[in-house]
Amino acid sequence: MSPKLSRRSFLRMAGASAAGLAAGAQLLPKVRVFAAPNGQEVVRISFAGWGQVAEQDGVVAAIEAFQAENPGIEVEWRHTPDTDFTTVFLSNIAAGTPPDTSFIASNNYETFRNQGLLLDITDYITNDPLLGQPDYFLPQEAQRSADDNGRWHGIGSTWVAPHIYYNAALFEEEGITPPGFTDDEIWDWDTFLAVAKQLTVDSNGLHPDDDGFDPDNIERWGVQYPFSNETYIAAAVFSNGGQMVNENGSALDSPEAMEAMQRMADLIYVHHVAPQSASLSSLGMSNTQMLDTGRLAMAVDGSWALSWINSSLLTVPIGTGALPKMTQPATHMQAHFHGALAATEHPDEAWQWLRFLATPFYTLQFMKIGLWLPSQTAQTTEEGLAEWITEGIHPDNYVDFVSEYLPNYGVAYRVPPGYVEAFTNFLNPAYEAIANGTPAVDVMPEAVRQANEVIAAAIAASS
Amino acid sequence: MTTTAEVRNTDPRAQPLLKRRLTLSQRRNITGYLFISPFILGFLLWFLIPALIALYLTVHRWNLISAPQFVGLDNIEHLFNDPLLPQALKATFTYTIVAVPLGLLISFGLAMLLNNQLPGIGIFRTIFYLPSIIPAVASAALWAWIFNTEFGLMNVLIRSLGGPKVPWLQSPDWALPALIIMSLWSVGGSMIIFLAGLQGIPDIYYEAAEIDGAGRWKKLRHITLPMMSPVIFFNLIIGFINSFQVFVAGYLITDGGPTNATLFLVLYIYRTAFRSLNMGYAATVSWLLFFILMGLSFLVFRYIGNRVYYENPGE
Repeated sequence: MSPKLSRRSFLRMAGASAAGLAAGAQLLPKVRVFAAPNGQEVVRISFAGWGQVAEQDGVVAAIEAFQAENPGIEVEWRHTPDTDFTTVFLSNIAAGTPPDTSFIASNNYETFRNQGLLLDITDYITNDPLLGQPDYFLPQEAQRSADDNGRWHGIGSTWVAPHIYYNAALFEEEGITPPGFTDDEIWDWDTFLAVAKQLTVDSNGLHPDDDGFDPDNIERWGVQYPFSNETYIAAAVFSNGGQMVNENGSALDSPEAMEAMQRMADLIYVHHVAPQSASLSSLGMSNTQMLDTGRLAMAVDGSWALSWINSSLLTVPIGTGALPKMTQPATHMQAHFHGALAATEHPDEAWQWLRFLATPFYTLQFMKIGLWLPSQTAQTTEEGLAEWITEGIHPDNYVDFVSEYLPNYGVAYRVPPGYVEAFTNFLNPAYEAIANGTPAVDVMPEAVRQANEVIAAAIAASS
Repeated sequence: MTTTAEVRNTDPRAQPLLKRRLTLSQRRNITGYLFISPFILGFLLWFLIPALIALYLTVHRWNLISAPQFVGLDNIEHLFNDPLLPQALKATFTYTIVAVPLGLLISFGLAMLLNNQLPGIGIFRTIFYLPSIIPAVASAALWAWIFNTEFGLMNVLIRSLGGPKVPWLQSPDWALPALIIMSLWSVGGSMIIFLAGLQGIPDIYYEAAEIDGAGRWKKLRHITLPMMSPVIFFNLIIGFINSFQVFVAGYLITDGGPTNATLFLVLYIYRTAFRSLNMGYAATVSWLLFFILMGLSFLVFRYIGNRVYYENPGE
């Protein structure tokens, strides 16, 4: 230690800088209003979210456009490029540094709403000249965003829904008419199964109903209908006349729901037309590569996957069609929400930003690349479609999907509070058991009973 | 310490008085504390204070959103009727009971092999140690590929020997064994400790035994094992503690599944906190884990510790 810096002054300096740091940290969250060069006050709001490269780029572009339109507001993007976004989000809330606005996972929306975490934006929407128009959003939006009293605490970012992707070259080669989205093009389950069998081939060139077919050495699977995302299960359940939730919580112990899940599993274990793995990523190839290499004829995947399963990116032409109907055509519509936190000090600015996210600039950029479906009615009209349907990404019949199929057969539902816990601890393990060959009737009733205890407790805790 | 007086007293004439009041040993103590302050601060900030907060949370319900609510012994009561806790305990105990002894055997065996004076032995030592310095996330990704049902190395090997296609990570029966096999890949750390221990055994014992006609087995049984017992004991304790805290593999590869087969205790704590939004119960299970580890360590010290041979017991 140099003679000039005594131990005592060192200690004193260290103490002072620690205190300074602590005081500065205390001040930081409160200093939110800055003066812009032209003397106008700038309000800074934060926006938390997850997402891969495409979403990240889209948000950054939206922030630039928004700030250009609203020079008085600055949006700070807090990006967590990870699926465990909620962990970071909740830690920030517990630490007293919540974001002003945020992505809200659809499974957490009702839980957070019940906890009073989210800002009620109903009046903002009603008074908005654009968003307040009765038909501004597709009808499913209000079914999911509004609570029992018609209050909104967030706006769905968009819609996504599962459908079939198929290798069009293979269908042509085999002379099979592929599925579409109009009523006469939607397959029933038996047709779907028959085609899947026709397209499934083992290493000796045999099909599942042939003598000597070897289910352990399948060269090409007819279809993959995975359990890896609850949205695929929901679509099947709705299609079989079942419900995902009712007033007790999960409704997956109904005969219709269990039969739907059993049909999905039977594709693997009874009919040998689908691979066994819970998800294709654990097959070493994603469904995309398998479609591309002809090892898979049809894949059930979310509409978002169109941004990578498309004819521009793959070597084979890709077609899309509706999911097969069990008793009725149906798919499941969902998406994350955008919400403001009730604790925000700048509700008006937060609303301006949320509003911007629900206008065409933000949504169109994702729709054009195939990641999102429209959430605004104007985007489903002939003029609206022309603004985003992109050649090479959207197959010719995608227009039917958006303007005919979804309005008629798309089902959205509100996920009850406590659902993440119920899903993680009880429902998802039951899905995994079914995907692994256990009959649905053996696991679902108990899983639903346990899940609904959790949901009942979550509802009781918030009321 | 009289730091308040020091700070207040700015009169330079008072300095000699202060100098006299701080003896040499006091000044040395201050220096000592300064040097160990990084540890003390770390211990307080990342261990003691969180542990005390966790203790406070065991009697509260807290969802991270609203203020914690006092719930008395509800969380502790829930330990006894939680449907998932038995599964989490079973997965963790099974993992530990199989992985730790197996890991010790393999790392000890490897250390014995690598203790030979062969040309290029350094290269082999490096190769076997390498996996344990690969980041956990990278090795998890690698092993997810190895255990791939259709194209993974493990199944290619098994099927080339005429075995069946094992659904390693898809089946609740195979997922835990898969993660145990994976854990054996990183025995390098304990292997190095064993190797150091082996090299600390003086050759003179082996020479004396050879003169007395002892074979390999007898040398191992009567010289190597007793001399190595403190090292084995150390690796055993560390192995137990580490494997009870296993998290990364279950989190990254299987996410606790399929059907909760790999729901390790720490993963369950994490899920309870951040997916079920139940910090209070998560803290309670953390304390349960602490008591389990303490109890097990006590048992191991009591029943295995007294069989350890210390060459210089005074040290």
